[in-house]
Amino acid sequence: MILGKSQSLRKGDEITGILFILPAFILLLVFVFIPMARAFYYSFTDYMLVSGSKTFVGFKNYVNLLQDSKFIASIKHTFYFAIIVIPVQSAIALGLALLVKPQYKYTGFFRTAFFVPVVISTAVAGTVFKLIYNRDFGLLNVLLGAVGIPKISFLSNADIAMNGVIILGIWKAAGFFMVVFLAGLNNVPHDLYESASVDGASKVKQFFYITLPLLKRTTAFVIIITTIDAFKLSGLVFVLTNGGPNSSTETIVYFIYKTAFEQMKMGYASAAAFILFFMILIISVFQMFFLRSKVNH
Amino acid sequence: MRRQVLRTIHFLLMTVIAVVCLLPIVWMVLGSMRSYEELFQYATQVSWHLLVPVNWTFQNYIDVLFDDQHPFLRYVFNTLFVASTVTVLVLLINSLAAFAFAKLRFRGSSVIFVLFMSALIIPGEVMLVPNYMLINNLGWLNSFKGLIIPSMLSVFGIFLLKQFFEEIPTEILESARLDGASWLKIYRVIVLPAAVPAMITLGIITFLGNWDAYLWPLVVINDDRKQLIQVAIANFTSMAGTEWTKVLAANTIATVPILILFFVLQRYYIQGITMSGVKG
Repeated sequence: MILGKSQSLRKGDEITGILFILPAFILLLVFVFIPMARAFYYSFTDYMLVSGSKTFVGFKNYVNLLQDSKFIASIKHTFYFAIIVIPVQSAIALGLALLVKPQYKYTGFFRTAFFVPVVISTAVAGTVFKLIYNRDFGLLNVLLGAVGIPKISFLSNADIAMNGVIILGIWKAAGFFMVVFLAGLNNVPHDLYESASVDGASKVKQFFYITLPLLKRTTAFVIIITTIDAFKLSGLVFVLTNGGPNSSTETIVYFIYKTAFEQMKMGYASAAAFILFFMILIISVFQMFFLRSKVNH
Repeated sequence: MRRQVLRTIHFLLMTVIAVVCLLPIVWMVLGSMRSYEELFQYATQVSWHLLVPVNWTFQNYIDVLFDDQHPFLRYVFNTLFVASTVTVLVLLINSLAAFAFAKLRFRGSSVIFVLFMSALIIPGEVMLVPNYMLINNLGWLNSFKGLIIPSMLSVFGIFLLKQFFEEIPTEILESARLDGASWLKIYRVIVLPAAVPAMITLGIITFLGNWDAYLWPLVVINDDRKQLIQVAIANFTSMAGTEWTKVLAANTIATVPILILFFVLQRYYIQGITMSGVKG
């Protein structure tokens, strides 16, 4: 491969190569690097979209953000979502993958069925669940009522509204990570299980001594992506609760959106966006470090 | 015997989970085909008609599609236009770049590739405010330009396609080169046909991503006639006195084409996830 590549080295190819990447490279500069650099600068100014003032204020935005109770609350809500979703959703996704892994006639159907919620758009899922969660007419309360559970107002009680977001989030995303786990499971050499069965190891033992250790890399990948997705949580909240009730479901991205597009404080919102970016950056660096250090089986 | 019991439990468990996954969607579709009064009349106790309409009607669809105040058909066309245009341009621009990174030697190629990949860790949610300020300065707010042009780059697409292109034997490209074919011709005649599965994978991911786009159109578009479908749906429900059966009809219109597309092309879609996951 490497030899083949060096063979293709011709003088005229240099220009072709540059021309081929040029459109993508211009887009990369104009719509990623330049806006990021400008926003980073604006995060040190009091840029307001309405007045147009752009006075340099140093770290003031960052200092104020860390003392802004609304921003701190949005971080707390985001963390609450993350701490529940990461273990629960990953466990469910792994469970689903184990269920659909056997190659029976009907597992293909279930694999597709479990994946369907992933294809449902955020706005559709959000509006449908809004009605499903309704206290008096919602499907969920009717079904819960049938087994004797009293009515729960999932979205109008500030103490539990985030749980409503969490249930919807897991419903929508578990199938995606099922597919990732399934790919990992299919990479585990089949003869390992065969020799374990011959040795008389039970299925449960096989799971803990063969499957889980060999899935380490896949699991790490799933957990990191789930964490990043949790930090980016926004769309579901916009549609399902609009941050309410009583601001109890305002996430970091929701806070950024409100600051930028309702209060028009672009400098302040840019600073919040960069705090979010640094959080995600730390997770990504951790990801690279963790995934590189593990040898692929 | 024991094996049979286990398999029955396995099957029943999967059936229950499938119901949890599909019930909201089935309920949405069936609910869109009943009248507003009926939906709520049967919504308080478990019975057959909790799901299945008593009097089937398509009135909700007629009301949604021909509503003058909220021209839903228009939102559908707007979204189709934006999503298709972006998909075609994403495939073109990013496959050219991926091909160059995979098969052409030019100075700085590895450094530039790392630059591209570094953009993978910047999520769209972080880019929201920076890109909005840029689009505002360019005067592209409230236009399809503002939706389409910033979406034309897909760093993930370059990553995905480069892996496919690397599998194409360099010898074939070399001999075409010796026969005097230009790189552009080789790309069109040899590389693209060989990469059809990969292009479908990236195409469906891009199209679905744009069909589902919510945050970016929400901030860029403020003229209702230019709005896209997801924002329109979300706005439907935030209005006072939500007409739920109409919302369900609008949701169904927005979902069914996507589900059909997914069922036809799911193999490619799943492959996209697997490739980013396992090799990631």
